[in-house]
This record gives sequence, structure tokens and C-alpha cells, in this order.
Amino acid sequence: MNIVGVDIGGTFTDLVGYVNGELVTSKTSTTPADPTLAIARSLDIARCAPSELDEILHGSTIAINTVLERKGARTALITTEGFRDVYAIGRSNRIEAFNLFFERPRPLVDRALTFEIPERMKADGSVLVPVDERALERTIAAIDAAGCEAVAVCLVHAYANPAHEKLIGAILRRRRPDLFVTLSHEILREYREYERTSTTVLNAFVGPRVDGYLGRLEGYLGGADFTGQVRIMRSNGGVMSLRHAREQPVTMMESGPVAGMIGAGRLASLLGLPRAVGFDMGGTTAKSSLIADGVPAIETGYVIGDRATGQPMQLPVVDIVEIGAGGGSIAWIDAQGGLHVGPQSVGADPGPACYGKGAGLAVVTDADLLLGRINPARYLGGDIQIDPPAARSAMRRAIAEPLGLSMMEAARGIVRIADAAMSLSVRSVSVHRGVDPRDTALIAFGGAGPLHAMSIARELSISQVVVPKLPGAFSAYGMLMASWRQDFVQTLIGRIGELDATQVEAVFAELAEAGREQLRRDRQGAGTADFRFYADLRYAGQEHAISIPVEAPHQLAGDHGDLRIRFDREHARRYAQSAPDETMEIVSLRLVVTAARDDTLAERWLSEPFVAEGDASAGLRDVVFDDPDTPIPTPVLWRPALKPGMCISGPAVIEEANSTTLIHPGDEAVVTDAGHLVVKVAV
Amino acid sequence: MDQRVKEHPVDPITVEVVRNAIVAYADEMADVLSKSAYNMMIYEVRDYCCGLLDTQGRMIAQNRGGLPIFLADLGVAVKDGIKRYGLDGFAAGDVVVMNHGTVCGQHLNNVVVYAPCFHAGELVGFAATRAHWVDIGGSRWGFSYNATSDVFAEGLQMRSLKVMQAGEPNETLMQILRDNIRSADAALGDLRAQTAACQIGAQRFGELVARYTRKGVADCVSLVWEQADKAVRQVVAAIPDGRYEAESFIDNDGFNLDRPLRVKVAVEISGACMTIDLSDMNPQVESSVNSGRSGGIACARVAFKALTSPDLDVNEGCFRALDVVLPEGTMLSARPPAALGQWSIIMPTVIDTILKALACAIPDRIPAAHKGDLGGCSFHGVDDNGAPFLLMNIFGGGWGGRPHGDGASASMSVCQGDVRNTPVELQEIKYPFIIERHALRPDSGGAGRFRGGLGVELTYRCLCRCRGNLGFDRTLTPPWGLAGGHDGVTAIGIIERADGTVERVLKATGLAFEPGDRITFLTAGGGGYGDPALRDPDLVRADIDNGLVTREAAERDYGVRCADAASASTDPPGALAAQ
Repeated sequence: MNIVGVDIGGTFTDLVGYVNGELVTSKTSTTPADPTLAIARSLDIARCAPSELDEILHGSTIAINTVLERKGARTALITTEGFRDVYAIGRSNRIEAFNLFFERPRPLVDRALTFEIPERMKADGSVLVPVDERALERTIAAIDAAGCEAVAVCLVHAYANPAHEKLIGAILRRRRPDLFVTLSHEILREYREYERTSTTVLNAFVGPRVDGYLGRLEGYLGGADFTGQVRIMRSNGGVMSLRHAREQPVTMMESGPVAGMIGAGRLASLLGLPRAVGFDMGGTTAKSSLIADGVPAIETGYVIGDRATGQPMQLPVVDIVEIGAGGGSIAWIDAQGGLHVGPQSVGADPGPACYGKGAGLAVVTDADLLLGRINPARYLGGDIQIDPPAARSAMRRAIAEPLGLSMMEAARGIVRIADAAMSLSVRSVSVHRGVDPRDTALIAFGGAGPLHAMSIARELSISQVVVPKLPGAFSAYGMLMASWRQDFVQTLIGRIGELDATQVEAVFAELAEAGREQLRRDRQGAGTADFRFYADLRYAGQEHAISIPVEAPHQLAGDHGDLRIRFDREHARRYAQSAPDETMEIVSLRLVVTAARDDTLAERWLSEPFVAEGDASAGLRDVVFDDPDTPIPTPVLWRPALKPGMCISGPAVIEEANSTTLIHPGDEAVVTDAGHLVVKVAV
Repeated sequence: MDQRVKEHPVDPITVEVVRNAIVAYADEMADVLSKSAYNMMIYEVRDYCCGLLDTQGRMIAQNRGGLPIFLADLGVAVKDGIKRYGLDGFAAGDVVVMNHGTVCGQHLNNVVVYAPCFHAGELVGFAATRAHWVDIGGSRWGFSYNATSDVFAEGLQMRSLKVMQAGEPNETLMQILRDNIRSADAALGDLRAQTAACQIGAQRFGELVARYTRKGVADCVSLVWEQADKAVRQVVAAIPDGRYEAESFIDNDGFNLDRPLRVKVAVEISGACMTIDLSDMNPQVESSVNSGRSGGIACARVAFKALTSPDLDVNEGCFRALDVVLPEGTMLSARPPAALGQWSIIMPTVIDTILKALACAIPDRIPAAHKGDLGGCSFHGVDDNGAPFLLMNIFGGGWGGRPHGDGASASMSVCQGDVRNTPVELQEIKYPFIIERHALRPDSGGAGRFRGGLGVELTYRCLCRCRGNLGFDRTLTPPWGLAGGHDGVTAIGIIERADGTVERVLKATGLAFEPGDRITFLTAGGGGYGDPALRDPDLVRADIDNGLVTREAAERDYGVRCADAASASTDPPGALAAQ
């Protein structure tokens, strides 16, 4: 089995793979005009011939960038008569409460291209007004006249009965086969007309462009004699077939940051860590996600773009909290003399002050450098020339002098602020789900993650930190471990104890059939598939529901004592209280279908014995840990040479090509058989 | 831990760490409260706030994203408890409830719940929440209820009562709550959610004190306040000195429909200080459109915050440069036992008027007026299965045109930030109504170089007998234009009975509806900004194409004729909108 994962980011196209028993990687510039060029080049650089590959996993920012740049298709929206403006009105909320000049989400479809069709379903799925097909004919003519490439159809209560959407979809697809048609119930069957409309429109808006791109990719691979499978990364942490991605590109919207969390999940399973927090710190942001039993937490509902003006998307997304704290985060002083770090970042250009490109802004990486934590000679494998005097001068001028601090105090302060902010973010992903951070292990990766992880762990009294091998490439590598996954949801509202057993059974059966159908379409063997149902439950009167695993209809419609206990317990865990005497209500039934990977090559790499090479010791360096005036002479070690079983007592700096791990005084690191570092943090 | 930092806790680094932490704790409280609350006033309307207070009742930090009118005002509630019990009268595990009308000045539904926070046996502060309970007993039921004339008719008052004493529930108080509140399960659920939020806040604050010492935290917090104060004063200092006045009117108090109520404000800028003088506000009224002093303070603070520090987290420091003059006995400082049920409904107009006063001083920072009411509807009854229901929904409306752009359409009032309307699908799942239309209201935005935003239009058809309240206002002083812009179109409720009769209603309490009756709510548009003749004709044409402005209005208000008959006027015949 030979597999590669290719991730197209805004700047770089990264490839990682496992080919002929070897780990391969490559990096090349993204080619926005035709991204397949960069894919071809990255395969070339890695010396992978498409013809020898069995599988290509592919992640791309094309869908999300199409939205952020508002460069999608000219899209029409078809709604129920009376509801033309649901999309423009949204929820009427103003996130920026005190801003008199606030902005709200700007629709991706003009009002002039939003068309009403006389038809109406009731909440119970019965028909109130049948579809006026003549009105639909007029609408098709108007859509033609407007030159639309895509149509989104979202009708009121279509989640309860999609018959009208199906009818309209069939007519549209028959009459205009070249239009990219998206029907809301095909994307999600959940009540809340605005969020469903927005999600449906997102799919239609990005559809033609993503479809064209994936078509070209297929063409290129076919031309290069690739005969394997292409799998596309999706926001829910799984993958789907290329065909499915062409139909539901909205599900690949947030796929970028999730790969690393999938890898962290697998590693947590291998190491037997029931609860962990994946922590990925790169150049501009730090991302955290709670991992329970090897699976990153999933949240339904997300906003594409910024919180106030972004486009809501009501689909499952790996729950990642991202904050503007990365190596490139800028330290700055406000007009009142308050010191802050981030969320602005210098990016790769001009980069930190120590890149010597003259921006004069002090960033977290400059602080790390001045504190002796980064080796100027080996930064990013020595590819970038580091200029410590430039960092010193920026630190003095931008931060230390205005605040009356010494340069080292300023540097130490910046790192403390960044670490404190990141620890709040790590804490929030765990407490948000009722998990005490002290009961988790931190899995730290990304270029800067291992450098900052120990202080974050100490701040939160987390006693164990895991730094996987190749932490700098770990995020991309996670993609190779992604399973096929499809999420389904069906609104089902009623009080537990009063539900109609036949109806509940029907919803279970309908979801299961949808799951089997999708497996067939994606040519996944049903034998390897895993079906898991979840009931979204709440106490009657509440709005927010919690997903609780259920196995069979009778748990909802029959004896629900066990479900009751599970829900009360989960409620108490998350919200510090429960109400065992109160009526419990179901809102939706969810189904998650996953199909395990046929191969386990990537996972094998995680556990295969590590062979150390070369000389471990690289001398001593003065490193500042706590007291800015008292650096500690600290042993510097070369990670590729650290032998399994080796124990390293802090202080120590462990360097490798794309990352540095900082072990503080009192902490103890052990190299596992597979070459990961497990650090016991003195809390 | 850095020893130097321990000795000198007010270094800029520790200040920043503490600044971020305290707000994160308040946000965590809000997360627990809103996710486990039982009523839409909390989880959709965000009618709550959470915060940490010091032992003098001063606001250390407040959550982000709660209702804007709750600005560092939990202190009065907590101070009353401190006065009653003394600082040594609290024990770990105590939980106090407080909604007393005279002290809090708000309607009794707003229940403050707070818990003391201890570190090493010493009281170091309080964690507090305020949340709107859907019912608190008394005769009021749902939004826009205008029929009370003293606070005693409005429900239970709990003045600094311990609902938990050292961890032991006060069963007497719980029994009183259970027996006197309509949806007692929801109220007690909200009480549980508030209690859990306070306990989490108290625990987190205790951890922070353990880490940085009580003095260390206090020093950081006072520096955070000082920095906020400095930032705010810089903005105020840039406003030209002077006394600026403005006036507008509330239609009526819901009792005496022909008697307008005066909203008169004066804003005085002197150097880096702003005084908002509300002395000439209308005297308190016979109905429930009153608030205690805290209502007046809230209006002044919302306007002040929007002008001076919209991006800063809320704390005491944000308001030190603001002085509010408000003698007793006005609608915003009513004497007991005034009814307070509708305490907040005049606030958007008061805030609009404060902003208008400053329009000549800082013309490029003041938008034209917005829809100006809180825009909600409420229906209650018993459905066909015999279950009682209460439907409440809040709608947006138009915001005023801006000095540099059009006003936003269909947006919540200045008093409601991240408040969300209720999905049509959800309302039809839960309540016996068909909602026939949820749409923008064409031509409702005031004409101007920058057009006012549009109001919304929402039609309910009743499927069973019920009663409803309406609460529209701002028809006497419609959402005004600025700099030559036109006024926005005012709000109206239209009732079409099943027998074909039509009534137009602005305010009403307890209107009876029969199956087949239709009620359409049309919310106001925002005022326009600048002379409509100066509007870019392409923008007028785009508005016509999008059906936001009709051809007739374009010709009348902008002098733009749209001869191009092909442009898409695909608007369905909005029969009511045209009326």
C-alpha cells in the first residue's frame, strides 16, 4: 500500500506519504490559478509516481477561500413564498453590541436572485400548499435570464418532509442539467431555516468552482495513470469520495486544521490516553481540541469568516478553538500602556524581527530567541538566516523601553502572556465539555507547540505532555489516518416517554438506510462500517441539547431509564447541575457512519520502533526559564539521536529540524519505543 | 514562578494575564448559564449578565455578549446583601437571590443570583449573574404587558434572601417560588443554572487569588480600570466642549394612549468628562413604563460606551468619566411603589436621543435614528392538547443611515446585542400558529444619501384561541433622519380577523384572538442620512432591482426614474406592506 496526503494551503502545498515503506514529505508553493500544478510538483519533489499510489488523501482551502473571497458562482436561491428574506434577515443579532456601525453577515445571493415558489409544508411534514409548478417555470426562466450557474433550494420544514424540494430539484436538474443544484435536505435535515438556508447557499456558491477543480484533479491523475482512490478531507475529521465532494463541497469547508487533531487522536489511543487535548501552535495561531477516547470533539454549527459577519454553516466540524497566538504574534502596547500579544501576526513576510527584514515588530519567536530557547543556527532546519541583533533591537525599542523593562524582562513577559492566553484556550476546550484539564494529557505539535507546551501544562496542572515525533509535520501527517465518515441528522422532537415507537423506529431506519446508501455510493464495504446513533437531548424547556449515544429505538420510545442516567450525568458534568426529576426531551437523532481505513500504514508509523541516529549532545546554552536575569546553562540535545527509553531531566532543549521542545527544570522526558517524547511535568 | 513578579504584582505582564483571565471566567459562567437555562429570554434573548465583583460590590469583570443594558450594574444588588449580612455574614456555599424593585430598579423578572467567593477562609469577592426569568408571579404574563400600576401586582420580590445557606437549600423560599410562579419548573431550572454559574465563577476567582494573592489581583484590576478610564477620557476629550440637547417623545404609557411622554436629554462635554443630564425626562407614569434609577444609568452608559469604548471589555473603569444627573421621580428614576414591568422599553429611544444631541458636535460618528423599540410579540393560551403555551419572539428593524454608508436592515435595537429572533420552524413546531410571511419591509428605510435600513414584516395566523400583547412605539417621533435624510417608516400591527375586519394596533395588552385571525407585525425602518438627492443613482437602481425601494418611492424620494422595465421587480404582492 502506498498512500500520500496532499494539503493545499494558502501559501504552501504540503505532501506527506508512506511510499514503499518510507515516510516521504515535500513542500512547494501553492499555484492558485491551477492548484493541480502544485500537486503534480509536490509529487515530483517527493519522487512519487501517481501510478504507484493506491490512495491520495487531499485537503484543500479552495472551498473556504471561495467564500472568504466571495468569488463563488452566481447563485440563485429558491424559497417558500413569504420567506424570500429569511436569508437576508438572518437572526437579526448584532454580535458587536456597542458598535453603532456594526456589520452583519452579507448574503452570498442578491435579493434580486432570490425567488419565492408558492408551496408550504407544515411542521409535522404534512402539505399545506402544493408546489406551484408554473411559478417554478417562471423562476427557471428568470434564473436563465440572470445567467446563474448554481441554485440553492431551501424550503420551510423541508427537514420534516423533503417532497417539495425533491420535486423542484428533479425539475431543475432535468430542465437545466448544467446548473449546480443544491437541495437543503440533501445537506442537512434539521430545523432552523436561516442556518439551513445559509449552509445550502454555501454549498451552491462554492459548488461550480470546487467541482471544476476536482474535475481537473481527476483528469490530471487519470492522465498520470493513477488508478487508486482519491479521498477528500472534510470538516468533520473524516474523508469522503471525490464524487461526494463534488456534490457536497460545503463539507470540506473547515478541513484544514483538523488533520493534526486526527493524528493526535490516534496517538492518544495508541498511548492509552482516554482524555487529551491536541495543541497545535504554528506561526499565526494556536489551536486546541479536546480528544476523548481517541476522537476529537465535534461541534455542530460554525461560522465561515469572522464571528460578526461570517456565514453560518450548520454542519459537524471538529471543535477546534483557535486563538491569535503563534510564533509570529505581535507584541504591542496600547495607548494606555497595556501590553498585549496578538492576535495580529507578522506572517511569513516580513516575519519576526529576527528575520532581519526590518519591520521592527517584536513577536513571540523573537522573545523565544532572546530567551535562548531557539537555536538561531538551526531555526527551521537552518533554512532561514536568523539575525539576533535585529530581534534585540526590536524588543528594546518596541516593548522594553516604552514600558521601562529590561530587554529580557520584556521577552520573558511576552512569552508569559502568550502562554497564559493559550492555557485559557486549552482550558476552555476541556471545561466546555465538563472535563477537568488536570485529567487530560497535552499532545503538542506544530512548529512552536513543543516549545510552549510545558508552561501551558504547568499553568493548568496538566502533568503529562506528549510531543510526537516530527511534530512540525505532524499536522499534515494526521491526514493519512483519517477514516471515511458521514454525519446524518434528522429532527425528531418530542418528550421522552411520550414518543411514538413507530415514528422513532422509522427515523432510525431512515437514517440507517441513508448511511448504507452513502456507503454504497462511495464504494465503502459495509462490513467495515460502524454506525453510531446519538440523541440530542435536553430537559423540557431548555434550548441547548447534548448528544448522548443511543443504540436502539426502544431506548427512546420504551424503557429509557439508562438513557436518563447517562443524560443527567453528562449534564451535571458539563454544567455542574442536573435535574433527574424533570422531563427529558429529544430534538434530533444523529447518525455517524465511519468506515475504518483498509490500511494502517500511517498508524503503524506512529508505533513502529524508532531508530536513533547520530550524536545526541549538542552542548550547553543559556536559557531563561523564569527569572529573566538568571539564565540557566541548559543541555541542548539533537532529537533524531535520542534513543528509545532515554530519560531526560529538565532543563533541556531538544532540537530537531522543524521544531524545538523545551523541558523545564523539574520536568522529566522519556523517549518512547516509537520515538515520541512523554514529558512528566512538575505541577 | 518569577519571584520578581510576585513582589511587584503590578507589572504589565501580570496585568495582561489577569485581564484575560477574569473575562474568561465571566465568559465561562455565561456558557454554563446560557447552555443550561430553561427559557428563551436567557438562551435566545441573552437577557442576562455574569460577572465577578469585589467585596465593595465593584465590577471586576463582566462576560462578553450579554444584554448591552446590563453595564457593570450588578453592584447595587450585591451591595444590598453586604449591607444586610455584613462582610462576615457570608459562608462558603451561600447563594443569594435578589430582585427587589426599589433597589434594583428593574422589572422583577430580572433575578440576580450571587455567591460569595472565599480564599483560605477569607471573603475575597462575589460571582454574580442576573437573568430574566420568564415569570415571577403577579399579573404580568409575557412581553409588552402594560396593565399593572404598582410593583406589588408584578410578582414576588426577594430582597437579598439566601436560597442556599452554607450549601443547605432554603426549603421555605423554594416552596414560595414553586407556589407563586407560573412556570415554576423553568424558573427553578434557571435558578439552578444561575447557581451553578456563580459557583464556577467563585471557584475560578478563588484560584486566581490563590495564584496572585488578593492584593496582587486587586492591584491588577485597578490598573485595568485605570487603563479603561484613560482610553475613554481620550475619546471624550476629542469631543468639542459644550452643552448639547435633544428631545423626542414616547407615544404613550400604554394606559393613556393620547398622552405622549417627553424624552429630553442634555449632554455636557467639559474636557475629558461627559455629563448626561436626564433631569427633564417625563415624570414617572401610572403604568409600568418606569424604571428605577438604574434604568436611567443604563441608558446613559449604553450611549457612552458606544461612543467611547465599543471594543473594551465592560468594567467599572469604562464609566468613571461619565456623570449622570437624574433626580428622583422621572420615568427613569421612579419612586416606589411604581410599576416597573416595562422598565426597558423606552431605553432605545432615550439612547437614540442622547446620540442625536451629539450629532452636531461629532457629525461623522452619529448615525440617524434606529427603529427605537424593543420589538417583541407574545401570545399565550392553551393548545388543542390542553397544554398552556407562551410564545415570545423578538424582531429586528431598521437602523439609521450612517455618515458613510446605509443603515443595517432587520437588526436588533441598540439595547439588544447578540439577541436572536426565533426561527419560524421552531415556532411552528412548538406553538399553534402558521407563520405566513417573514420578510423585509420595502420602502420602510428613510431616504437619504445613505438610506436607512429596512424594518421587517411577520405574519402569524392563529390556529387556536389565544391572547396576545403588542408593544410598538416611536410613531410620534419616527426614526429620524440626519443631515437632510428622511425619517424611517414607523411600526404598526395589523390584525385581520377571520371575519374580514381589520384593526391597526400599536400597543395592546391581552388582545383576544380566534382561529384564523392574522396578526402582522411591521417594524420600523431607520432614518436616512444626508440629502437623498445626493444618493448615487446606481445605488438607487440596485435598491429597485432588489425590491428594497419601489419605483414609485425612488421617483418620489430620489428623483430617480427607472425606465428599464426589465429590471426584476419580482417582489410578491406584499398586500400588507403596501397599505
